[in-house]
Amino acid sequence: MSQIDELINKFQEVANHPQKTVLDYKKKTGKGLVGIMPYYAPEEIVYAAGCLPVGLFGAQNPEISAARAYLPPFACSLMQADMELQLNGTYDCLDAVLFSVPCDTLRCMSQKWHGKAPVIVFTQPQNRKIEAAVTFLKAEYDHVRKELERILGVTITDMALQEAIRVYNENRQVMREFCDVAALYPQIFTPVKRHDVIKARWFMDKAEHTAWVRELIAAVQKEAVHPWTGKKVVLSGIMAEPDEFLDIFSEFGFAVVADDLAQESRQYRNDVPYGIDPLEQLATWWQDFDGCPLAMNVDKPRGQMLINMAKKAKADAVVICMMRFCDPEEFDYPIYKAEFEKAGLRYTVLDLDLESPSLEQIRTRLQAFSEIL
Amino acid sequence: MSEEKAVDIESMSAKDALGYFLPKIDEDARKAKKEGRLVCWSASVAPPEFCTAMDIAVVFPETHAAGIGARHGAPDMLEVAENKGYNQDICSYCRVNMGYMELLKQQALTGVTPEKLKNSPASEIPLPDLVITCNNICNTLLKWYENLANELHIPLITIDVPFNHEYPVTQHAKEYIVGEFKQAIKQLEEICGRPFNYDKFFKVQEQTQRSIAAWNKIATFLTYKPSPLNGFDLFNYMGLAVAGRSLDYSEITFNKFVKELEAKVAAKKYAFGDNEKTRVTWEGIAVWIALGHTFKELKGKGALMTGSAYPGMWDVSYEPGNLESMAEAYTRTYINCCLQRRGEVLEQVVRDGQCDGLIMHQNRSCKNMSLLNDEGGKRIQKNLNVPYVIFDGDQTDPRNFSEAQFDTRVEALCETMDEKKASEGGKQ
Amino acid sequence: MYTLGIDVGSSSSKAVILEDGKKIISHRVVQIGTGSTGPERVLKEVLAATDLTIDDMANIIATGYGRFNVKIAKGEISEITCHAKGALFECPGTTTLLDIGGQDVKAIKLNEQGLVMQFAMNDKCAAGTGRFLDVMSKVLEIPMSEMGEWYFKSKHPAKVSSTCTVFAESEVISLLSKNIPKEDIVAGVHQSIASKASALVRRVGVGPDLTMTGGGSRDPGVVDAISKELGIPVRVASHPQIIGALGAALLAYEKISKSQS
Repeated sequence: MSQIDELINKFQEVANHPQKTVLDYKKKTGKGLVGIMPYYAPEEIVYAAGCLPVGLFGAQNPEISAARAYLPPFACSLMQADMELQLNGTYDCLDAVLFSVPCDTLRCMSQKWHGKAPVIVFTQPQNRKIEAAVTFLKAEYDHVRKELERILGVTITDMALQEAIRVYNENRQVMREFCDVAALYPQIFTPVKRHDVIKARWFMDKAEHTAWVRELIAAVQKEAVHPWTGKKVVLSGIMAEPDEFLDIFSEFGFAVVADDLAQESRQYRNDVPYGIDPLEQLATWWQDFDGCPLAMNVDKPRGQMLINMAKKAKADAVVICMMRFCDPEEFDYPIYKAEFEKAGLRYTVLDLDLESPSLEQIRTRLQAFSEIL
Repeated sequence: MSEEKAVDIESMSAKDALGYFLPKIDEDARKAKKEGRLVCWSASVAPPEFCTAMDIAVVFPETHAAGIGARHGAPDMLEVAENKGYNQDICSYCRVNMGYMELLKQQALTGVTPEKLKNSPASEIPLPDLVITCNNICNTLLKWYENLANELHIPLITIDVPFNHEYPVTQHAKEYIVGEFKQAIKQLEEICGRPFNYDKFFKVQEQTQRSIAAWNKIATFLTYKPSPLNGFDLFNYMGLAVAGRSLDYSEITFNKFVKELEAKVAAKKYAFGDNEKTRVTWEGIAVWIALGHTFKELKGKGALMTGSAYPGMWDVSYEPGNLESMAEAYTRTYINCCLQRRGEVLEQVVRDGQCDGLIMHQNRSCKNMSLLNDEGGKRIQKNLNVPYVIFDGDQTDPRNFSEAQFDTRVEALCETMDEKKASEGGKQ
Repeated sequence: MYTLGIDVGSSSSKAVILEDGKKIISHRVVQIGTGSTGPERVLKEVLAATDLTIDDMANIIATGYGRFNVKIAKGEISEITCHAKGALFECPGTTTLLDIGGQDVKAIKLNEQGLVMQFAMNDKCAAGTGRFLDVMSKVLEIPMSEMGEWYFKSKHPAKVSSTCTVFAESEVISLLSKNIPKEDIVAGVHQSIASKASALVRRVGVGPDLTMTGGGSRDPGVVDAISKELGIPVRVASHPQIIGALGAALLAYEKISKSQS
């Protein structure tokens, strides 16, 4: 196995076995585990509390059964999967869970947690660009901080928060660099491998993840860059799973050269600004963040952001991974669709469903798309 | 004003007044547009006080969409919105409104009235010059209005009321909302090009409080047993609670209705005469596309609706002149609060209405009013020993509602209620 | 030179043998699809009608849901591209194509050169597909082949508004119990399919005319309802079920002649 394969393999081990990874981490370090529900919880506060933030982005091919009693079929499959994992005890290893409520499904989900760990709910303001929003979010984050201190029996100092912000910003920067590098080497970074390097962030100490990614980038950059004979695409949406979904991209010669996924690049698109008030800095991140339907902005910049992204990455098209029953994502579609058509940017929409992903239909759609590009 | 004097409001019945004032709100908007004044489209529980204070005519797309649904005009509007790319899983109020907006836009751009608009039973409302939204009933209203403002290139006033994961409402939430109120005032001053009219604002606040007091008074008649008031009437009068609460339209109408109900109580005239067998709470939005059917099905079984938390959402009681109190009123909506609070409100409704059963609408269009139904139902069953049933439906998309399925659910509930009554009667 | 196209769908298998990319010399449909003996049987039957063997085929292309399981195929191409190709051969000048299959509905927009510009497919739900029609014909106790006749008898089509198959089933049952004439219910079912399928056509853009293919287009009721819904004339391909296989055979020919030249 080459050095690059070995390095990528390490990420894949983490991404494919999150449960084992975090339990090993807990055993080895004695540190607690705090669940991070989607979307955009301030992980830095958890990190400053000396715990590992663990992403709760559903599961690959979840078997939904018990959850059916608690959610109607028109809740998205990501939340169906999270509900199932609460009910079957997978989340019982967590010491606490941070829960944001930017959509109607999450609002309700936050009120019916069925895991054992205590849940800390907080609300992100949506009138984001006014000053009162930062003040409000700062108070919500203060509530998160106090609740974590109470539940975990620790003190979270400003100094620890500033250190956490530094570690996280470093990881954000290295991840942006990684995405640019991965786009140059699609022969190495198949869509699944690229995804796994990114996904591993959710189950690792970010400082360690940063070191791994740096090592990987250094190794890859020694390789020669070869032209890509297939098509290049940008992915947009909540997430792009299961792996079988991304495998179809490989099957038809698609390389993923950039993404706008809530589970991936939206996490590290912006840095947290530096300053003297860590909670205010974290709240300002939310004010500055854009291009995600869960963060309201009447200018709807997402379409133009995607057009620019495709241009910069020299992509042939944008592929929308449309999480079924995710109404925030569905609302953006008519707006950017018109903008794509005006700009002459090719795009296609694939239905995303973690539970029953309709792979055959996706195979047909993607093959046809590759044939017409 | 002179032509209005010809209308004898004084001697109208409540029902006639409702029939007069509700369309008048849309008529006022058309008139405003014609005279070059501004028109605003507003989310149903967003505060209209600010716009009304600035003489901006306000219309309410949710009420408008419900009306289109009730008159069987929804399918055409849904089709237009879906062809534009609005997913069939998005709230049907929104899709109906987006379809209507699209047709108005086409008309404005081409000067030709599209066929579907010509044939629509919709009440005619003009395109807005600005929009205002508030998410105290769902976050969908944020995305919906974001798109409206974007598609029409007009200003959006956002009153974001953060979900109350703790109740009572926190101080920092109230302060944030007050900050938004101040921002809204600033926006309106810019849009209108004149200073905000604080004197009129105070008067509008007082008017709103008088309207709401009368609205709340109506609901108290549901506590009588037998009841002089049929709860389905609240769904009809609700249109004015939404669209007319900052005007005297609703106060006048609601007070008439209160007087009529008082007279009924005195004369022992009840909603179902002697046929009130059982009493039920209806949780969730009405099925506007089958309002008659759902009512008749219940009536046929002697089940009178004497409770619903839904109309209570317009109970925005606050102290005029106090923005913090107003902020609290607009954010405490029960479905913007934690489960504990939601449950308390629902339980109070079932208790006040002396209900024997609970019917819950699992609404394909409304995740926020569906995903905690089971928890609410179980609480009522446990605390009050009242049975509940959940049916699948939709407020304005006929494709997601089946009369036969609804009937089966209602039958089952009625049988349970009747049996329970019989056995309890036996014990006494 | 002979080329073969095979279309393995969800509920049927189709095969076409083409001579020099111009003449259909044999075609067969077997009413079972992927995962069954259907693909094998249709190959055997399509060859049996000629004096050719599989070795005489210069190229073989597979399409349809089961396309990756056809071992003898030398390539796989999506149904979208194959249908476009086949429809253009059968109905020259086609600009918009609607294929109603057993579990999929596809709308395809072609440019003047016959290249696929845009396509749309139904979501997971069975509304508007052949499967929906199948379920309704069972509830109504009318054979699929007679549904069209009933449609044209209707004077006042009933409204079947539910798109969910389960909901629509109970809606149809309640219409039956209300003694609504069967022909009116059938017409309602047809209109419901037409409305769903037309929405897909609108998504890719309605052309001056429409060519229909797939099992659904064999029902004249569906064709008429769609023509009325969209307000444009509809052509039905003369062999609506084998269009995909025909397109595959045509593409097999194009590929081989390109590689030889």
